[in-house]
Amino acid sequence: MTQNHYREKIWGIYDFIKENLYFNRPDLEVKGEKFNSALIFSLLTGISRGKELIIGEPGLGKTTSAEYVGSLLYRIPISIIWGAEVSGHPEQTEEKIIGRPDLGKLNRGKEEVVWSNFAQIPVKIVDEINRLPETKQSMILDGVDRGNWEYLNEMIINEEYCLFATANYQDRGTNTIIAPMVDRFDVLIESRHPGPNIAYLVGKFDKKDRILRNPKAENSLQKILTSKLSYQTKLRQMEEICDGHGEFLKKKLGIETVGLRDRKAIRAEIGKLELDLDANAFTRMLLAELSFCYKYGQKRSVENCEEGCHFTGYLCRDIRNCASNRLPTSIKTYSQALAWLIGDAEVDVEHIKAITPYTLAHRIQWKEEYLSGKEKDKRDNPFQIYLAKEAVKAVFNRYGEQNEHLKSALAVGYRVFNGEALEPVDGDHPVYFEIKKDLGLED
Amino acid sequence: MKNPFDDFRDHRTREREIPLDSIIQSRDRVMSKIIKGYEKLLEEEVKELVWLVQYNTVIKAYTLAEKAVKEFDYRAEDIEEFCYELDTTDKIPYLITGPAGIYISALCNYTQEGEISLKLNDLKTQINLLGYRLPVGKKVIVEGNLGDFTGIGMEGGELVVDGNAKNYTGAGMKSGRIRVTKNIGLHTGEWMMGGEIFVGGRVRGMGKIVDGKVYEDEKLIYPRNYRQSNVYY
Amino acid sequence: MISEEIIKKIWPRVRKKHLFPEIPIPKVSEGKENVALEMKNKQITINTAFYDKIAHKMDAEEVVEALLDHGISHYTYCPWDFHTHLRLFTEAKRVVKDKERAKRSAGLFMDVVADTYCVKGKKTPLPEFYKQIDKGKVDEVITCLYQRIWGVDLCAKEDEEVVRRLARIPYLDKKQWDKSIQKFARVIKVLLEVEEEENRQEGSQANPMGDHGLDGYTLEEIDQGLRNFANQNVGLKEFKETFEDFKEELKEVGYGMEGGMGRGEGTPLDADLIYYMKLAESYSIPIKKVPMEKRGFLNPHSHSPWEIGRPFQDVDVWTSFGKIMPGITQTWNKIEGSTFGERESIPDCIIIIDSSGSMTNPRKNLSYAVLGAACASDAYLRNDGQVAVYNFSDAPMGGKAILEFTSERAKIYQILCKYFGGGTALNLNELDPLLEASLKPDIFIITDMKITNLGKVIGYLNNIDNRITAVYIGENTYALRFREAMAKKKNISFYNVTKKEDIPKIVLGKIKEYFQGNL
Repeated sequence: MTQNHYREKIWGIYDFIKENLYFNRPDLEVKGEKFNSALIFSLLTGISRGKELIIGEPGLGKTTSAEYVGSLLYRIPISIIWGAEVSGHPEQTEEKIIGRPDLGKLNRGKEEVVWSNFAQIPVKIVDEINRLPETKQSMILDGVDRGNWEYLNEMIINEEYCLFATANYQDRGTNTIIAPMVDRFDVLIESRHPGPNIAYLVGKFDKKDRILRNPKAENSLQKILTSKLSYQTKLRQMEEICDGHGEFLKKKLGIETVGLRDRKAIRAEIGKLELDLDANAFTRMLLAELSFCYKYGQKRSVENCEEGCHFTGYLCRDIRNCASNRLPTSIKTYSQALAWLIGDAEVDVEHIKAITPYTLAHRIQWKEEYLSGKEKDKRDNPFQIYLAKEAVKAVFNRYGEQNEHLKSALAVGYRVFNGEALEPVDGDHPVYFEIKKDLGLED
Repeated sequence: MKNPFDDFRDHRTREREIPLDSIIQSRDRVMSKIIKGYEKLLEEEVKELVWLVQYNTVIKAYTLAEKAVKEFDYRAEDIEEFCYELDTTDKIPYLITGPAGIYISALCNYTQEGEISLKLNDLKTQINLLGYRLPVGKKVIVEGNLGDFTGIGMEGGELVVDGNAKNYTGAGMKSGRIRVTKNIGLHTGEWMMGGEIFVGGRVRGMGKIVDGKVYEDEKLIYPRNYRQSNVYY
Repeated sequence: MISEEIIKKIWPRVRKKHLFPEIPIPKVSEGKENVALEMKNKQITINTAFYDKIAHKMDAEEVVEALLDHGISHYTYCPWDFHTHLRLFTEAKRVVKDKERAKRSAGLFMDVVADTYCVKGKKTPLPEFYKQIDKGKVDEVITCLYQRIWGVDLCAKEDEEVVRRLARIPYLDKKQWDKSIQKFARVIKVLLEVEEEENRQEGSQANPMGDHGLDGYTLEEIDQGLRNFANQNVGLKEFKETFEDFKEELKEVGYGMEGGMGRGEGTPLDADLIYYMKLAESYSIPIKKVPMEKRGFLNPHSHSPWEIGRPFQDVDVWTSFGKIMPGITQTWNKIEGSTFGERESIPDCIIIIDSSGSMTNPRKNLSYAVLGAACASDAYLRNDGQVAVYNFSDAPMGGKAILEFTSERAKIYQILCKYFGGGTALNLNELDPLLEASLKPDIFIITDMKITNLGKVIGYLNNIDNRITAVYIGENTYALRFREAMAKKKNISFYNVTKKEDIPKIVLGKIKEYFQGNL
C-alpha cells in the first residue's frame, strides 16, 4: 500500500470525525490548511504512540474526542474503549486500573492476575487525571512510559499504545499534576468550545457515537479480554476481531480504518522523514534558550537569575526550570507525524513552529513577573498555550535574523568536532556558547 | 562519541557576500586605526587627563597626531564618524577636547580630499582647535557649532563653519580664510598674522591682531574699526 | 497582468524562502498606480495598476516575487515590531527635527534594511525590480545606494558623495540601528528638504513600496510597542513627543486609552497618562489565586497497600477482596478535606498622593511617586478591587483632586497625574467619605512628609485601623515625627526612600504581602 493511501485513510478518519462526531472550529493553520488542533493532535498522538493531555472546560468533548480517535484509529468498538477508561477520582486503586487477583484462585491459594481492559488495550484513556492521587498518576505514567504493566509479579508488555488524559481546569477536588509527571506528556491541547452555532449542532445530533458501536465485535472482544489466554494470543485474536470491525465500519459508514500492520507501516514511513537544516537549527536554538545559564552552567529551578545578566532578552530569563530531554523527542515525533500527514517530504520549520507550542506549554514553569505581565493580554488560547506560542514566536524571530550564521556555526562545529583546526563561529545567542561547550572550547 | 553536528556536515553557507560587507569591514578597520591613533596621542601627551592650550603643547600634540594619521588612508566621512565616536564612550574611553581637536585637524590636513565636509550639528560636544595648520588647497566645511581656537594657526586653507564658534577664533593664523555664518566669541584673531575672518553674525570681542582682516556681516571691522581687545559694542 | 493564480503559484516558494511567516496569502487589487503594494493588518495587497506600468519590462511573477520579498522582509526583519518602528522614528527625528521628514527617513531606512537583508540572504528579483521602476529624486539616490552596496548595475546615476556616505552604514547590524539611522538621516536630510519643496510645487509622489504607517500593526502590537518604548529608558518628554507625532495615526487605527481594546476610543489620547500606564504595566504582580481552606476533619482519600504492622482500622475490606495479606490488602489514606474558604476578596485602595511644589511634576519629568501610585492602582484593579485617589497639594485652599472609588483606569491616572505645585496640607474631612464608601480599604500615602498640618494627619491616622503604607521621600524632621508618632500602630508601615526609583518596588512588595495575607 502506498504512502498516499495510508495518508488518505488517516485523512478519511479525520474528516469523518469532524463531520459526524466531534464538531468544532479549525484553529490551527499549517501550510495554508486549517485544522482543529484537538482533533489533529489526537490523531498524531494515536499514530505516534504518544501521550496527550487534554484540558478544557467540563463537557467540551475532551474525553469523547479521544474516544473517537482511539476507536477509529485502532478499530476498537467504542464501548470497549468506554469500558477500559480509567476515571480520575481519589478512590481509584491499582486493582481497578491495572489488574486484580483471580479471586477464585486466590481462595484456593493460587496467585493469578486478571488484567484490566485498561492495561490490555492499546488505547488508554484516563478521564480527569488530575483528580487521581499522585501515586496513581505516577503508576499510570510509569506504565505508559515503558508499556509494562506489573501486578503480583506478573507482567504484560504493550507493544503498541497511546495515552489520552483529560483534565479540567483547577477547581475544588482536583490535585495538580506535578512537574515530573506532566513532563511525560508529549503534548497539551485544549478542547475548546465550538461556538454557539456549532454547539447547537452538537445538541441536535445527540448520541451520535452509537454509529461506532458493533455489539457483535464488542462481545467477542470482551470475551477475549476476560479470558485466561496469554496476552500475546489475546492480541492476535483481538486484531482479527478489530479487522472485522474495520470491515463493518467500511460497509456501514464508508470509512476506511487502519489495522496493526498499516499503523506499523505508517510509523516506519514517518520515522524516515528527516528534519531539514532550518528545522534542525531552530530546534537547537529553542532548546538552548530553555536550558542555558551563563552563570550557573545550566538552567535550574532552584537558582535565580542575576540582575543585569547579558542574556536578559532570552527565554532563559523568563523561565524557572530547565527543559527536559523529553521535549526534543516530542517535538521531533510530532512534527514528523504532522509532516507525513500533510504529505511533505521532509520536516521543515513550519511544522516545528506549529507543533512546538503544544509540546512546550505544560513543560515550562514561567517566572511570576513574566506571568503577571502577560496575564491580561488578549489571546485566543488558554494561557499556557498562549505563552508557549509567544515564546516560540520570539525565538523564531531571533532565528530569522541569524539562521545562516547559526547553520554555519553548526557546520563549523561539525568540522571542529572531527578534529579540524578551525575557530568556532561566535555569536551572541546562548546556542553559540553551547556549541563551544560541546567542542570543549568554552571560556 | 557521535558528532552532535553531523546533520550539518554538508552545509555550505548560502549568504552572499555583497559589497556592503567589505565596505563595512574596511570602514571598521579605518575607524579602529583612527581611534588607536587618538588613544596613542592621549597616552603620550595627556598626563592625568589635563591638557592646557599652550604653544608648545599644541605643537607637540600635532606632531604626534601627524605621525599617526600619515600611516593610513581615510576619507572625510571617517573623520566625521570619528567626531561622533568621541561623543559616546562606547569605543573611546574619554574625550579631551583639546587633543581631540588637534587630532581631527591633523586628519583633515592629511586626507586626500581637497574639500572636507563635516556634518556635526548633532554633536553634543563642541570641538576646539579645529582647523589647526589648515594648509593651502584644503577646504573644510563644518555644519554645526565649534568651540574655542577655531582655525588656530591656519596656513592658507579655507574653513567654513555653518554655525557658531567660540573664543580665540583664528588665533595665530598665518593665512587663509575662516567663514563663520553665525556668531563668534571673544579674543577673535588673537596674534593673527594674516588671512581673513568673515563672520555672518556678531563678533563678541577682538583679540590682539598683528595682521589680517576681520569682517562682521560683510563689513570690515578690522583694521578699519580697530578696537581694544574685549571691548563689547 | 497580475492574477490570483500567479500569487498562488509563487506564494509557497516565497513563504519557504522567508521561513514561513505567519501572514495570509497576499491579495491582488486595483489600487493606486504608483503604489506597488500595501500592507494592512498583515495582509499584503499587490496593485495590478502598478504592474501595468512596467509589464513590458518585467515578468509578472518576478514583480510579484520582488514585492513579496520586500513586504515580508518588513514583517520578519525590519522593523518587525512597532517598538522598533518608534525607536527608528525617534532617532531619525533627533537629526531631522521634523515629524514628516523623520517618518520619511525612518521609512526609507527600513526599506533599505529590508531590501538589503533580502538580497544578501535570499535569491530575489528585487534588484531587477528597482532597475525597472520609475523613481523620484530620493528613490533614485536609494537605488544608487543599492547599486553600490549590492554590487549590481541598476542603471542609476550616482551622487558620489551622498552615496559614499550612505554606503558605509551597517544596515544589517540590528544592534547599531539607532546610530545607523541617525547617520542615514543626516545624509538624507538635504534630499528630503528638496523633495518637500518639489512636492509643494508639483504635488507629492507616493512611495512605490507603500508607506510605513500603523496599518501594518494590530492594536495589541501597538500597545506592546508603546509599552516597550516607555520602558526603554526614554524620558517622559521624548515619549510624549513621539506619541504626539503619531497621535493622529493612532486615533485612525482605533487605539484608545485602554490600549486599543475598543474601550475609551472616544476619550482623547493623553500622552502623559499613556506613558505612566505603559510603565506601570511592567511592574506587575500576579492575580491572586482562588483560596482553599482546610475543613479540619479527615476524609478517606486514596488507597495504599497495607503492610504488616500497620493498623487494621483503616483497611478497605472491599478493595482488599476480604483478604488481609500483604500485596492484596489496601488501606485508606485519610486527608483533611478542603473547601473554598470564606472568600476574602482584595479590599479596595485609597491612594493619597502629594503633588505639592516639592514633588516632581509628572507631566514634565518622570515622577516615581506617580509611578508607584500607578503600580498600586493597577495591582488592585487587576485583582478586581477599586481605587480612589486623593491628590493633594494645599487642599484647604483648593489644591486637591478627589476621585471616588472606580475601576476606570484612565480616570485614576488622570487624577494621579494632576499636579498642583502649591503648599502641602491635607483636608482630612475629605477622606471620611472615601473611608466610608468601602469596607476597610487599604491606604497608600506617597509624600515627602513636608505636610503643614502633619499633627492633624497623625491624629487622624491613629484613629483608623485600615492597613496603611506610607512611602516618603528623603529624611526630614517631619518624617521623623511621623514615624515616632505612628511607631506603635501595627497597621501602619513606613518606607523611607532614598532612591525614588525604589518607590514602585516598595509599593508592590507591600501589596504582595497584603495579597498573600488574603489567600
